[in-house]
Amino acid sequence: MSIKLFELLLQASIYTVTISVVSILIGFAIAIVISAMLLSRQRLFVLPAQIFISFFRGAPLLVQLLLIYNLLPVIGINVPSIVAAVVGLSLCTAAYQAENLRGGFASVPAGLVESAEMVGMTPIQIFRRIRAPIALRLTFQALVNEAILILKASSLVSVVGIVELTRMAQDLAGSTFLPLEIFASAGLIYLVINWIVALAGGLIERSLPGVPR
Amino acid sequence: MKANSLLKGLVGAAFLLGAAVSAHAADTLAAVKAAGTLKVGTETAFAPFDYIDAGEHTGLNVDLFAEIGKELGVKIEWVALPWDGVFPALEAGKFDVVAGPATITKKRMERYRFTPPIAEATIAILKKAGDTTISKPEDIAGKTIGVGKATAQLDQLKEFSATLPTKVDVREYPAFTESYADLAAGRIAGVANSLPNIAFVASQRKGTFEVVLPPFGKKSYFGFIGLKDADHAPLMDAIDAAMLKIKADGRMAELQKKWFGASFDTPDAVKDPAF
Repeated sequence: MSIKLFELLLQASIYTVTISVVSILIGFAIAIVISAMLLSRQRLFVLPAQIFISFFRGAPLLVQLLLIYNLLPVIGINVPSIVAAVVGLSLCTAAYQAENLRGGFASVPAGLVESAEMVGMTPIQIFRRIRAPIALRLTFQALVNEAILILKASSLVSVVGIVELTRMAQDLAGSTFLPLEIFASAGLIYLVINWIVALAGGLIERSLPGVPR
Repeated sequence: MKANSLLKGLVGAAFLLGAAVSAHAADTLAAVKAAGTLKVGTETAFAPFDYIDAGEHTGLNVDLFAEIGKELGVKIEWVALPWDGVFPALEAGKFDVVAGPATITKKRMERYRFTPPIAEATIAILKKAGDTTISKPEDIAGKTIGVGKATAQLDQLKEFSATLPTKVDVREYPAFTESYADLAAGRIAGVANSLPNIAFVASQRKGTFEVVLPPFGKKSYFGFIGLKDADHAPLMDAIDAAMLKIKADGRMAELQKKWFGASFDTPDAVKDPAF
């Protein structure tokens, strides 16, 4: 296998990484809103959040991507490939991350919150100093996990016309008849990317405030 | 007062948007010319029409659409999708025309409009070089043969299989390139695809693949695909006219020679396909 083919795989992996990172970040922002709605105890907020989660966690990502790409134009929204890919991945990961966050906030020890109230902290102070740091600390590993899952799931976005790492590997394997070398290289690239994500996640986690170690 | 003017603004905006959308829908040719780009959907896994050669999108389609683009005075923008996603995306308006090409069939003509044919599409078998067990199409009886999912070749293969004493074990692939890889690896006995495609694959990989002649089934042709509705008629008319001009002045024959090794006669239009 030539250097050129490996370079092509690396170029395609830029799409994989960019789409995944952008989707994880957008997904996290949406997840904060959804988890806040879940925790609000107001039916008006809880119900839509539950519907959101059960749809985007329940239907396969492949189906969601095809729906966003092919069905939205029916109601007049014709999204380009890259937008469909990012929207699909973001909404899907948002549903998982919202559940993680909800679990994290629910696990904040009630005693800590009560003590904070006792010393006279305002609800905003309690959120900023007690609940948010602890919840983030509790959900951080799940977030890293989710980032790795999305990096791998991004191989599905070729169905909406993005030539990412997996699709490039398929194209190259088809035209060069070197499937073994090419898929092994693609696997190695995924492995290295995810290894970096896990390593960076570990480093960030150690610097997080929160539960004492 | 404020709310009222906001409402008015929204209604106005919606009206303008609606007008813009319907203006776009009314004449796709004008829209394409205004945008300066013709969007073409394809699968990039159908050599020699459309494939990736070590990372470069190349093939007869790329050359031919470059000429069509010159005739229409627009740039060509390619959108690569898996083949079974191409038709839904065409109907969703993701691109203006499908390069494919696709075999011109009665069933497809009911729903889509075809351009003038660009090549013959009659089906034949590709086998591993030196495989003496297959010397004519009928020899594939009882063997495992690969073919593309959601293709006209699949229908033709099934039809042919029904005429054989033992049925063919048909294995469907998302793209033909994967079936060629499996054939090279010895997992299947052959691949059924249109003659120009497998002749090209065999010529690229001499010593690995061989074509089993003659082709079988009914004579058919490849064309590009567009939508049939009135909105798309001006665009499809313009593409047809450009292609007939390219054919008349010999550019089409030149491209066929470049990609198939030989040029061949195709009708200007297929009105009544064989199947």
